[in-house]
Amino acid sequence: MLGTKRHGIAEFLTRSLFSWKPKASHSAPGWKLFGKNPLQDNPLKNSRTIQQEYESRAGPATGPPPHPQPMRCKNLEFEPLSTTALILEDRPPNLPAKSEEESQRHRQEYSEMVAGAKRREMKEAQKKKLSHPYIYLWWQGVPPSVRGKVWSLAIGNELNITPELYEIFLSRAKEKWRSFSETSSVNENEECGVSLADRESSLDLIKLDISRTFPSLYIFQKGGPYHDILHSVLGAYTCYRPDVGYVQGMSFIAAVLILNLEEADAFIAFANLLNKPCQMAFFRVDHDLMLKYFAAFEVFFEENLPRLFQHFQNNSLTPDFYLIDWIFTLYSKSLPLDVACRVWDVFCRDGEEALFRTGLGILRLYQDVLLQMDFIHSAQFLSRLPENTPAHALFSCIANTQMISNNRRWNQVFSALMKDGLKETDKSSSSNSPALRS
Amino acid sequence: MQNNRKEHLYKILVIGDLGVGKTSIIKRYVHQTYSTNYRATIGVDFALKVLNWDSETVRLQLWDIAGQERFGNMTRVYYREAMGAFIVFDVTRPTTFEAVSKWKEDLDSKLTLSNGQSIATVLLANKCDQKRDFLTNNSLKMDQYCKENGFVGWFETSARENININEAANFLVKHIIASENDILKSVVPDTISPQLNSDKEMTCSYWLSLD
Repeated sequence: MLGTKRHGIAEFLTRSLFSWKPKASHSAPGWKLFGKNPLQDNPLKNSRTIQQEYESRAGPATGPPPHPQPMRCKNLEFEPLSTTALILEDRPPNLPAKSEEESQRHRQEYSEMVAGAKRREMKEAQKKKLSHPYIYLWWQGVPPSVRGKVWSLAIGNELNITPELYEIFLSRAKEKWRSFSETSSVNENEECGVSLADRESSLDLIKLDISRTFPSLYIFQKGGPYHDILHSVLGAYTCYRPDVGYVQGMSFIAAVLILNLEEADAFIAFANLLNKPCQMAFFRVDHDLMLKYFAAFEVFFEENLPRLFQHFQNNSLTPDFYLIDWIFTLYSKSLPLDVACRVWDVFCRDGEEALFRTGLGILRLYQDVLLQMDFIHSAQFLSRLPENTPAHALFSCIANTQMISNNRRWNQVFSALMKDGLKETDKSSSSNSPALRS
Repeated sequence: MQNNRKEHLYKILVIGDLGVGKTSIIKRYVHQTYSTNYRATIGVDFALKVLNWDSETVRLQLWDIAGQERFGNMTRVYYREAMGAFIVFDVTRPTTFEAVSKWKEDLDSKLTLSNGQSIATVLLANKCDQKRDFLTNNSLKMDQYCKENGFVGWFETSARENININEAANFLVKHIIASENDILKSVVPDTISPQLNSDKEMTCSYWLSLD
């Protein structure tokens, strides 16, 4: 039932807010190719049948070809109506037939063309996404009444988690808690492939952290209305991803989602959110990758706030002193909750870039104060921002932050750093990595 | 120029497992307050405290470091240049005491003074107000434990009831000053002795003079 409800909203919203999103489920094989040829004008052969034919033909390349002859006959009867996928067709009988390599090459060329066309359409869709009026409204903050729905649609459900799956992981988590509290010591069969020590610590940690999540709201603490839900969502996640487990910061993210979504939907959004590359890097505590994010952040820091950047450099105040807290909790701990939710709105719209842009917005907002401070006072200030950080001032600072450096956007800067990093590790893998592991 | 009190600046690490009360101890020590409302520390938090020490001024930088073991690799950079440390455990949770030796080894492996000694470290048995103490009743055993593991001493503390927090801090500062004097003594004879520890620019504390 949850599913259908979600679907209805999804349809409503995909039409208006998410028109830029490729409608993957319906039209995966049918996206428009070479737009001048309207598909409806081609009743005999739309792109879907072309795709099917292509697939049926591409299939035999891997397996044994079942009936190559009859298929060729069938193809001869067919008169292509557009140039779409013509390359896949055999030549008319009066010309020499294609060799196997040639048709193989044609199949490959066709795949490349299709992929290229798809990329172009995606790019166009991206442009459209930026011009859509709703997208600008989004900046003002999504109304709290639909915020949860908008977030979960924007985050998506790549992992295809259903409410039922959540229930399964939740009951597994509950099973563990029970057996853990009953025996509370020695040997247990290893269910999720986690050692007892890990399990114990993960469960222990969740319990300890729940009461320390938004303590001033008094709703997640023991006896509070959301205590059990937060416990459930985090517990289910450690069963769903035992390789990641519980990491501090997660409790804040889950709590914000729980405040805006039903339990199962909160879990689905939580798992999908943590599955994003930036969040995975941080929550797996992949130190090298985190340093890459910090380095990319510093590129834009220097670009936007050169004086403060230099000041921080002189004081050896590196981003790890403040970004770790900000990124691990998606600002929900350091900014007032309503302001943090607006940051999440933009994060849902623009992706990880928005997180680092927000960080630069904060630095811009407090630049004058920070320029007067030494290392320890700046670090202290940034780890405990003023409680009354005003939303409008912060967002105008974020808006004034340009995420362009030397004509490169965040993704380009980041991937360039990743490439550099690969080269470096090639060169000095033997000397560097053991020290990092220690 | 009348006020040329000698000034010391010491960086002190506060480490230990998650939820043992590191932040509470610091808040109690620096702000004389206690609350059950502290949020989990992610990364690192900072606090400053100024002491009048005889005729000198001691400035303490307290580095409150997140307790989750997973962050170990990441928080190690925070250890640099520290002169002293508190390792905290929760007397009601035996696993946090078992982790103490891990924290100590970790600290010693990443940080030594210029004379090769490990930094002055005090063990804090926190939450002693909660009468579920599994171990510290046996203080002889604890003394022995400290000796074996290289702690300069240990205290039963309670951030909630304000038990032994100031005492423990003064005790640590005393040891830091003593170890600093040791270093100075050992350094003076061969006037310019190169610092051997490669990855630390400054192992000693900074001596500042106010005019």
